[in-house]
Amino acid sequence: MGEDEVLSVTRRTTRSSSATAISTKNDVERTKSTHICSPSLNDLLYGGEPIDLDVLLSNFPGRHPQICELLQILGPSNTPMLPIFVYGGPSTGKTSIILQLFRYLNRPFVYSSCRTCYSPRILFESVLNQLSHHRKNATNGYSSVKRCEKPSDFVNFLREALVKLVRDWDKSSSILPLLFNLDSILNIPEVGLIFISSTPPDTFYSSMGYIEPVPIYFPNYSEDDLRQILLRNQAYPKLYSSFLDAVLRPFCRITRRLDELSAVFSSLFLEYCKPLNDLAVVPNEDLKRRLFSNLQPHISLFLNETFRVLSQSSSGAERTKGRELRGSKRKIGTHDESDELDFHMSTSAKYLLISAFLASRNPATLDASLFDSRGGSDSRKRRRKPSETAKGQKEAEEEELLTKGPGSFPLERLLAIFQCITSVAEDYLGEEVQVEDSLEVEGQDGPLMSDVLLQLSSLCNANFIVKGGTCPLEGSTRYRSVVTEDLALKVAKSVKFPLAKYVYRR
Amino acid sequence: MVSDNAAEKALNLIRSRLCNPNFIFRPLCNSPDSNYSKLKFIVSSSVTEACNNSVLLLGPRGSGKVAVLDLVLEDLLLEYPDMITLIRLNGLLHSDDNSAVKEIARQLCVEHQLLFSKMASFDDNSEFMIAMLRECGLAHKTIVFVLDEFDLFTQGKQRLLYALLDAMQSVTSQAVVIGVSCRLDADQLLEKRVKSRFSHRKLLFLPPSEEDIYRLLDHVLSLPVDSSLPHDYAIEFNAKLHSMFSDERFRQVINSYMNFSPAVRHLVKFLFRAASDMDLKLGYLSFENFKSAISSLQRQPKMECLRDCSILELYILVCMKRLEVKEQNSYSFSAVMKEYKSIHDSFQTSDYYSQDVCLRAFEHVLQRGLVCFADGRGRIQSTEFRPVKLLISFAEISQGLKAHHSCPAFLQKLAS
Repeated sequence: MGEDEVLSVTRRTTRSSSATAISTKNDVERTKSTHICSPSLNDLLYGGEPIDLDVLLSNFPGRHPQICELLQILGPSNTPMLPIFVYGGPSTGKTSIILQLFRYLNRPFVYSSCRTCYSPRILFESVLNQLSHHRKNATNGYSSVKRCEKPSDFVNFLREALVKLVRDWDKSSSILPLLFNLDSILNIPEVGLIFISSTPPDTFYSSMGYIEPVPIYFPNYSEDDLRQILLRNQAYPKLYSSFLDAVLRPFCRITRRLDELSAVFSSLFLEYCKPLNDLAVVPNEDLKRRLFSNLQPHISLFLNETFRVLSQSSSGAERTKGRELRGSKRKIGTHDESDELDFHMSTSAKYLLISAFLASRNPATLDASLFDSRGGSDSRKRRRKPSETAKGQKEAEEEELLTKGPGSFPLERLLAIFQCITSVAEDYLGEEVQVEDSLEVEGQDGPLMSDVLLQLSSLCNANFIVKGGTCPLEGSTRYRSVVTEDLALKVAKSVKFPLAKYVYRR
Repeated sequence: MVSDNAAEKALNLIRSRLCNPNFIFRPLCNSPDSNYSKLKFIVSSSVTEACNNSVLLLGPRGSGKVAVLDLVLEDLLLEYPDMITLIRLNGLLHSDDNSAVKEIARQLCVEHQLLFSKMASFDDNSEFMIAMLRECGLAHKTIVFVLDEFDLFTQGKQRLLYALLDAMQSVTSQAVVIGVSCRLDADQLLEKRVKSRFSHRKLLFLPPSEEDIYRLLDHVLSLPVDSSLPHDYAIEFNAKLHSMFSDERFRQVINSYMNFSPAVRHLVKFLFRAASDMDLKLGYLSFENFKSAISSLQRQPKMECLRDCSILELYILVCMKRLEVKEQNSYSFSAVMKEYKSIHDSFQTSDYYSQDVCLRAFEHVLQRGLVCFADGRGRIQSTEFRPVKLLISFAEISQGLKAHHSCPAFLQKLAS
């Protein structure tokens, strides 16, 4: 699907766009020395054969009213139009319909996406380059809104500019009002503007205000539409249709996004087909039932696994990577209760992870009682104290934990806990009954301590530990562990560390 | 029945009229106390009497400030050829002083066939500008500076405004500064030194009266009788149009639309939408066109979003609503998840999914703009723990749940 391509390109750019708060002035000032081009109208046409209206309509089931509406507003090629604002949820076919529509109309247009063109300058350049049919030529870096005007006077025949808009942009960027007012600035009736967005127009706040473009709404596909779309281009429509009978409804309760559904279904269908040796078979009632009962256990499994398509939150690429790692981790946990970690970690990294988890969960005041030199037996005694606290206070604290998430801690505390738990662990492993001399412990931990900082940074990179802001009083970096309790327990189990004993329960 | 050709021609004519602001605002200019005549008087007095002037055009967006200004300048350029030099700046493009002065110098050079140096500094350019002002004053040529989005020019140190208005204090120069802004308090944004040099003339652009609206409708929609269009068709078209104008239902539609978006440009958008709906087979504008246009322009994006949500996403919204009803002032996804679990525990719903799936649904809701993070920071904490808040009202949620095609009745009960 085309949409997927766009998304996969753009995950990274959303973050960088928030970082580039470039105001337009830089670009505006840039003047272009020469504009030697004789662009012909035909260069801006959609490549390939123009298509029929019937083909267009049948290519997009369930989108008939929207296509007709767009056609009406675009009108015949010799009339001007007001700007249009196309919106609707992700993967509802906004962009592809617009592009195909221009292919059908066989009219020139320029398309650029604000996701890929993450700074104003790149956007302008992309539009201008397409207009003047200019292939990357490093020497003339022309770009400015003001100059956008020039080639259009120059060309002086019909063309359509098509601008795709994303919301991540409007933060602290002066480009948005500009885009919306572009129409009135240009004041050239031959140019039409189409904005495409996945969020409704009321999310585009701006203190400047603008004349809202004509809105066109693309609703999400209904269940029937989804069925039709999914059935297209299937090698075994009969079989697939009976498959959809079984799975479409439960999955639609979770998400109605086509891209996610098709990703899940493609793997689920393989599962469905497993008992069959001839896929071209036309399933009868009996076979359907058999196949369905075969599939039944997988459905609930897959339902809770819709995570397979990566989340594309604004939190940036690294986070997503980390979450994917954790996500896959959890998946294993859900179906077979194996305690095996599905990735390799050195022992010291594991201890470090555990100590980070403890530092995040436990209040700092409790450290002394948990980890004093007398070992775990005493800590158990002291831990009774918090259970005596008033119930109301307990609930409030719980609430606080929920809202605040894991706490942050300085590096020193992490290292102290790390040292304590490694010494305890050595007690366990070595079957040594007596308490070690503290000096000896330190000597023993020497090699283990040496690369702790290295381990810490690699844990940070893997997104098990997050580097937080610096503490205003101490001025040192604070860390925060973001692993779930399940994962921490699993890691602890793999090194035979009694983690549950140390976690402070409210 | 009319031939498709004539209808298509008529439609094209109306569409091109609607996209041409000069055409739309022409009929509103005739009366003697219109902004058009006032503005024309100010500018023409400066041209004929060789004096300096400054004026602000204020009014909400889409009320036709620039269009009226364009009409005035167009007429004056015809009236006094070769006596007016027009410099146009836009606050969106030239809000910083350097680029503004450079742009002024560039436009002056283009106008007077001089060589423009791209390398010139701010100082060179402003000196050049002052010199040009003096020269033009001596030659009895007026320079008209149009500053669109005037409020954006007041953001920095206002050096440009000061330079312009200060130059106009001298007798030798002959210039008009016209600021256009949709902020009604634009003159209060000026520094003291700039304000004292400004003439404090302000022209306010008000939304059109009902009478004006119908005059405008008639002006834009009725077809010319003496053109390439078939004579009978044009007469018939106009007759149908006028009978529709007097229709009470039509007046109601126009009134209800103008009540919440009073500017002329809003009306134009509405007419455009209606006109592009015109049935070419029928060949005439019908009341249904206007009715469908109003329903397609007056949208409720939040409700549409709710209608698009899956059941799980609705669950999350309902959970958030319940948390807000409990007056928890700050809550995060994990709190929402807890609420979701507790609902499941007490009612044994069929829709119970793992946290990962819920998180994904939560992100969808976030993407749709139904929910947002309550803190501005971000990225330090993961999504689960950042405080969030609803962006829709409780009434909207319950209304949306009712309108949703497959919302379980149980969920509606939870939300109420």
